[in-house]
Amino acid sequence: MTTSPLPQPPVPVKERTFALSKELFRYKPGLFAFNLFMWGMVHASPALLTLAVSGVFRALEQADGLKTGGQPINPAIAAAWVSVAWFAFVRLSRFGIFYGAFRAWIELWYTLDALVRRNLLSYLLTARRSRRLPDTPAEAVSRFRDDVEDVAGYTEVWVDGAGFVLYSVVAITLMARVDPLITALVCTPLLLMVVFVQRLSPTIRTYRRRMREATARVTDFIGETFGAVSAVKLAAREDGMVTHLRALGETRRHAALRDVLLTELIRGVNTNMVNLAVGLVLLLGANKVRGGTLDVADFVLFIGLLPRLTGSMGFFGDAIARHRRTGVSYDRMTRLLQDAPDTTIVEHHDAYLNREAPAAPPAPTAIPLRELRVDGLTALHPSGLGVHDASFSVARGEFVVVTGRIGSGKSTLLRAVLGLIPTQSGTVSWNGETQDDPASFLVPPRSAYTAQLPNLFSDTLRENITSGADEAHLNRAVQLAVLEPDLHALSGGLDTPVGARGVKLSGGQIQRAAVARMLARPADLLVFDDVSSALDARTEAQLWQGLAQTDATCLVVSHRRAALLRADRILLMENGRITDEGTLPDLLERSGEMRALWAEQDA
Amino acid sequence: MLGTYLGPLRWQVAALAALLLTGTGLNLLLPQLLQQFVDNAKQGAGADVAGLVRLAGLYILLAVGVQLMTAGATYVGARVGWTATNRLRADLMAHLLSLDMREHKERTPGEMIERIDGDVTALSNFFSQFAVRVFGAALLLTGALVMFFREDWRIGLGVTVFTGVTLTAMNRVRKLGVEPTRLEREASARLFGFVEERLAGLEDVRSLGAGGHHLRRFLDVQRNFFTRSINSWRRRSVVWQLSMALFAVGYVGVLGAAVGLYASGAITLGTAFLLYQYMTLVEEPIDQLTQQLQDLQKAGASLGRVSELLALRSAVRGGKTPLPAGPLPLAFRDVTFSYAPEDPQARGVLRRVSFDLPAGQTVGLLGRTGSGKTTLTRLISRLYDATQGEILLGGVNVQATPLHDLRSRVAVVTQDVQLFQASVRDNLSFFDPHVTDAQVEAALHEVGLSTWLARLPDGVRTPLPTGSLSAGEAQLLAFARVMLRDPSLIILDEPSSRLDPATEALLTAAMTRLLSGRTAIIIAHRLDTVARADRILVLGDGEVLEDGRRDDLARDPRSHYAALLRAGQLNEHEGVLA
Repeated sequence: MTTSPLPQPPVPVKERTFALSKELFRYKPGLFAFNLFMWGMVHASPALLTLAVSGVFRALEQADGLKTGGQPINPAIAAAWVSVAWFAFVRLSRFGIFYGAFRAWIELWYTLDALVRRNLLSYLLTARRSRRLPDTPAEAVSRFRDDVEDVAGYTEVWVDGAGFVLYSVVAITLMARVDPLITALVCTPLLLMVVFVQRLSPTIRTYRRRMREATARVTDFIGETFGAVSAVKLAAREDGMVTHLRALGETRRHAALRDVLLTELIRGVNTNMVNLAVGLVLLLGANKVRGGTLDVADFVLFIGLLPRLTGSMGFFGDAIARHRRTGVSYDRMTRLLQDAPDTTIVEHHDAYLNREAPAAPPAPTAIPLRELRVDGLTALHPSGLGVHDASFSVARGEFVVVTGRIGSGKSTLLRAVLGLIPTQSGTVSWNGETQDDPASFLVPPRSAYTAQLPNLFSDTLRENITSGADEAHLNRAVQLAVLEPDLHALSGGLDTPVGARGVKLSGGQIQRAAVARMLARPADLLVFDDVSSALDARTEAQLWQGLAQTDATCLVVSHRRAALLRADRILLMENGRITDEGTLPDLLERSGEMRALWAEQDA
Repeated sequence: MLGTYLGPLRWQVAALAALLLTGTGLNLLLPQLLQQFVDNAKQGAGADVAGLVRLAGLYILLAVGVQLMTAGATYVGARVGWTATNRLRADLMAHLLSLDMREHKERTPGEMIERIDGDVTALSNFFSQFAVRVFGAALLLTGALVMFFREDWRIGLGVTVFTGVTLTAMNRVRKLGVEPTRLEREASARLFGFVEERLAGLEDVRSLGAGGHHLRRFLDVQRNFFTRSINSWRRRSVVWQLSMALFAVGYVGVLGAAVGLYASGAITLGTAFLLYQYMTLVEEPIDQLTQQLQDLQKAGASLGRVSELLALRSAVRGGKTPLPAGPLPLAFRDVTFSYAPEDPQARGVLRRVSFDLPAGQTVGLLGRTGSGKTTLTRLISRLYDATQGEILLGGVNVQATPLHDLRSRVAVVTQDVQLFQASVRDNLSFFDPHVTDAQVEAALHEVGLSTWLARLPDGVRTPLPTGSLSAGEAQLLAFARVMLRDPSLIILDEPSSRLDPATEALLTAAMTRLLSGRTAIIIAHRLDTVARADRILVLGDGEVLEDGRRDDLARDPRSHYAALLRAGQLNEHEGVLA
């Protein structure tokens, strides 16, 4: 039986980020290695450029010396031209390398992006057990967008990092060869800076988190407003909604500005370190110049190498921050997947980026229903409401109705049986066999379900109804769901696009399309959650009559006489418990609650 | 557009300009200090150490100054950007909300998020950085060119030509990226729209065992996004590649010129070094300009879409004539409506509908599903406009009165209740701060949600527990929304469809109170819902089958209503009509 997700054992975030990212790097090992190599060259080549420029000035300085000595300067000038040619060569090859490196990086980045998104959605759509989103769908989408981008973009830290390390080693060696003391003195503030940035990174995280939360509130609100656009318009409350957006935007602006300020502070420290370092070289060099131990060419070398060295240090500081941010993104994804192991996010699967994906796996095998049995089922919402200790059974061919007042737990009961929400205790068994994962088991061809407020997707009506099933049962489904008259009214018939969440259809049409969708695949047990509420009397009667002619077993939530009169058995719910069970005449005789529910219908 | 949104921020923009100008000036001074240092240092033993130290100190001081200016400019720039784009977001949302429903049916909420936030954020980067980066870079570039001319007019000319060629070439090339970028953003909107819809319908997908199918569809959508993104990055990267190639030429040129001029004795070693340093001052701003061209591309594409949206005009526009006070009579005159008026094949949903509803009376609207009942009510509050004919409310054509007036006087409770992730009070008041908590509480009591309210830990300020809300409770909340207003015409679209009879009884009293003294239309499948109506209107296939006083129709054995009543009683035992 499904149990509520256990809290994840605390995995050290640092280790996990490394471990998970390593899996990502291994997804396309060749491409990753190629990226490392190419970007290593892209980042290290500026050291060679500076060396060439320094060579130019060394030659010119020699020429200066020759000129003062009254000798011909031609050999020195020739040496200078050789250095210029060397400079030109490195510059041009760097261009070629960058071209390849960039293409390789884009390919890697978007491939990893796609893999992580595929893994998230795949788990939510197809994994075992109940799935509930911890947040709104709009908020969950930002896991797919922003957090995925963070996680895939983290690869950049490693790809670039290798290049920056290479550059730093080359640069420090070159400088130390000229003057180890100045090199040491200049590098110290750079190291201090890394420490400084690292110190600030928790603050950065807080600011980023606030910024992202503020952004999520803005996007959520926009999504909800347009999800409910007709309600807003009908209530003439457009102004209020815009005012609220302004308030949310203002909060976000404050969060964003704090973030900018801190980032600028860090960047300022970075840049000032270069200038401070150059200034230090000037200061320390001033004395050495007189001794002749430091010449203009060395000086050019230092000034040429320092900015990128500082840049590298800044990069390392930022890398630590990005590492932590990636940890946060992994956290949030794990929270979205709830009971999934961490590694689900980075599992290796084909993301089918260059060819069409194969057909979805076939439906599970049919196990003809003899009896569905529910024992001691308890499913509570966090608020404490829900279903307590429910037991009942449905035999093949039966029409069982669940009834009760609003909030008595009828829908919750159905959803708990189907494993759509987590349950705390109890069992569901099929033909006497206990199912520990009803969510995966109770699907067509065993059972099919239509929710009280079904969701359609922006596609054609046909695609919505078949949803991957073959079209063999399409006509029968459309007939049984009494959707045929609607098809005549719709301009494109089955090929009419239904719009976002089916907005182009009326409430009743959405409901009937959802019933057709459920009937388009063969299923032994049909579970309806108050599906008749958007149907008129005759349409509803047609639906029940049509179903009666099949050998379907039905479990139906309803409070209407049409269903109650047809019921072989009625389960009466009060305050989350099944308080009585029996035929309509029996219940009317012995249950006051049943009489109350029934009597209200006499106008 | 820039003017509209930056105009009110002109003082901040001025501060920004001042910071940038000062910063650029200082930045141009720095290489001069280096030149002096080099020319001084090459004298070796004869160098003036005190002078060198002074130069070094000055260098550090100026460098820090430059940094402070840049940081200040970035901050002010971001401030300007966020303030301006927040306004744009609000205006865009207000505009989009004002569009008619035909427009909304074409777009998913996910797409709206992408338009209002995604695109505008791309613009925000542009707004906030345009001034700092582009303006700052242009200043620095000009300054550096002037400095080249001061050293040697031939080099100055050469570098100026180089800059001109580079910028022109890059500007040409960048246009390559605009269309792929647009396609990429389109694919991204579709991708996230797809994900959002599937997440919202997770239970539908999973309970039908259709997860595998939807995953496969997702992979298709994602493949399209992948291909377009890669293509768009490649096209955009041509700009950088070109810049790298051109700069290779530029640096080699300047370095070569420096060597050549030195060999001919025209310049000193220090000046040769200065020329090389100034080249970095040219490279930086051109790099910046190029990068900003990227953002400019994105912003250009976004601006295109935003302007497209802003240019959309609602086909449903309000007029000027005010509605009279008090309960309003309603009249339909030969009203015909089709969702696709441009398609002559499509049958109208309503055909030549005419009827009168006197002020203060209630009409029960009956008819089979799909007979046009809901559509009829949508025309009154003008979610759609009649294709032909006119609708008069209080004697005024609904198209002649301001939309806001019309919709605040007409209250509608629909079949599906749309709720927000927000507090109970915000859900009922649509985020209107003028509505007091007490009013919200009173409305909840009136619709019979007192016990429900009592269970909420923070009363009406509790976030609405949408997950554990039953559809019936949601329906009651929709009633409470109407209780908060004082409408003249009330439309109840299957008001009790989701209520169990016991709960419905709670509501009946409140409904009676709400409807008294007001004109009302009640759509119902169940006859008992309209048992108290003054009039009955039966629709069939878009046409009026019957219209009259309920009592008269009930007495007339040949009427549809009487037939329905008989059928209702007759079929009660067979369970056809509940």
